[in-house]
Amino acid sequence: MTASIEVRGLSRTFHTTVRRPGFTGVLRSLVNPERVEKHAVSDISFDVAPGELLALLGPNGAGKSTTIKMLTGILTPTSGEARVAGVVPYRERERNARNIGAVFGQRTQLWWDLPVRESFSILRDIYEVPKAEHAARLREFDELLELSSFWDTRVRHLSLGQRVRCDLAAALLHDPPVVFLDEPTIGMDVVVKEQVREFLRYQVAERGRTVLLTTHDMTEVERLAERVVLVNHGRLVLDGTLDEVRRGFGSTWQVRATLADPHTPVGPLPGIALVSHDGPQVVFGPDGPAAPTVHQALKLVIERYEVTGVAVDEADLEDVMRAAYAEVRAKAEAA
Amino acid sequence: MNAVRIVWRVTQLNFRAQLEYRTEFLMMIAIGAIWQVSVIVFATVLLTRFAGMGGWDSSDVLLIPATRMLAHGLFVLFLGRVHGLGRHIQEGKIDAYLLRPMPVYRQVQLEHFPTNAIGDLTVAVGLMVGALGRSHLDWTPGRIAYLVAAVLGGMLLEAALFTVVASASLRFPAADYWGRWLEELLGTFGSYPLNVLPRAVGGFLTYGLPLAFVAYFPAAVLTGHGHSTGAPYWLAAASPFLGLLAYLASRWLWRWALGHYTGVNG
Repeated sequence: MTASIEVRGLSRTFHTTVRRPGFTGVLRSLVNPERVEKHAVSDISFDVAPGELLALLGPNGAGKSTTIKMLTGILTPTSGEARVAGVVPYRERERNARNIGAVFGQRTQLWWDLPVRESFSILRDIYEVPKAEHAARLREFDELLELSSFWDTRVRHLSLGQRVRCDLAAALLHDPPVVFLDEPTIGMDVVVKEQVREFLRYQVAERGRTVLLTTHDMTEVERLAERVVLVNHGRLVLDGTLDEVRRGFGSTWQVRATLADPHTPVGPLPGIALVSHDGPQVVFGPDGPAAPTVHQALKLVIERYEVTGVAVDEADLEDVMRAAYAEVRAKAEAA
Repeated sequence: MNAVRIVWRVTQLNFRAQLEYRTEFLMMIAIGAIWQVSVIVFATVLLTRFAGMGGWDSSDVLLIPATRMLAHGLFVLFLGRVHGLGRHIQEGKIDAYLLRPMPVYRQVQLEHFPTNAIGDLTVAVGLMVGALGRSHLDWTPGRIAYLVAAVLGGMLLEAALFTVVASASLRFPAADYWGRWLEELLGTFGSYPLNVLPRAVGGFLTYGLPLAFVAYFPAAVLTGHGHSTGAPYWLAAASPFLGLLAYLASRWLWRWALGHYTGVNG
């Protein structure tokens, strides 16, 4: 199956001038500026299959938005290649624009002074969508995102949640096979967030759209994505499933057991370390890279010891990603 | 055809949107007119206190601000949103425009309806009617056609200058400040026969910043002063055509700059 998004060795370098400290430094920079290269994205390669939702993750300044901007045709890469639905976005910007939808959570793409419905109808004309098709799609989006209560309001008067829901609808009105979402739920309340997530799930599962999502919200990643690409300092650090991320970056589970007999001798199990032992209370944790999953560990503990109670603490994705970011930052500093 | 339909539709909607804020709408028209107060004062002083200027009869001089103002009003109406592009860039609007299957330049022009152009054009039409009414020239179809071409050429030349600034803004948003300087310069020197200025200044406003081609040269050609501008007659006469050429060249520059757009925030 041909990938919807193909990225090969994509790089983007910006040139900036270094500020020298102090007043004389500023004057020196004015006369003789020191130019430096900033590698926003370096040699990144990945594919996204049709109908797949991929989360592009990384700390602030990692190169996520620059990557999306190259894939949407906003920026031209310094080197490397990319194809989106078979089109090179930075060479055929307008053709690419017909195949994609994009939402940048912090900015709107709607006409600020016009009622949302007028913006939708202008987009219908721009993308040359037949009227009946447009009306049917609007009805569908209204059912999922509850737009009709505010779509006659000017964009400038909408709340953030209302505005982003309208932006999402606007991005999909021309039925694009590929959608780019750059922090779409930033600043939203939990109810609207969940509504947007449900909408995205529907677009991927029922409409077969390919989605590339960037977000800092790990709940969102957990609920929507099966696969993630982690970038840092412009470089790809990891490309894998959520389970692989958990395994790769210290899935820190703990099994807490209450022994039936507090005098039972307790020791480590294969791949499982004894974290603490206080009377009948025993805590086990993973031991090394070959540690079992939390469910396997639970099974082993119950089989080995007679227990009257057992509880499991598993690090959520947020903790795992924090560990991942810390590890890649430490590696970068060491390098 | 679809492109024309979209432009018309968006313009209509933008105009309607502006109309809904009645006070703001009327204020913008008033600002457009008041902005030209220096030109109105200049015209009044010229007609009431002086018989002429730089060897030109007052009625002939009046044709310069009238042509410039009309060209400027049309520029503001049709192509003026390219002025102040730095704001669009900082707000990330250019990024949004690049996501639509439509030329970015056209989307910039469709950003809002320039209500102040109504004020500009009201003053400009009044001035042109006054200038034509006082003119001693025989307005043959050829002269009228040349005047129309001169106004359109002036509009395109002004658009070309601001498009060059906008192209620079795409790479260096601070370049936008040059647009303000340009606007100031056009307003200050655009109404005078440039032969009253020192030679070096006149030369700069002809070959450095081609302000002379907006209204001074066309008015000189129309009023019979074409041979005494200091520039070759053919060059002065070709002003409308040069306006068109400059605009086409600026659009080429715009396309090149857009290809090298670096965006905001990386």
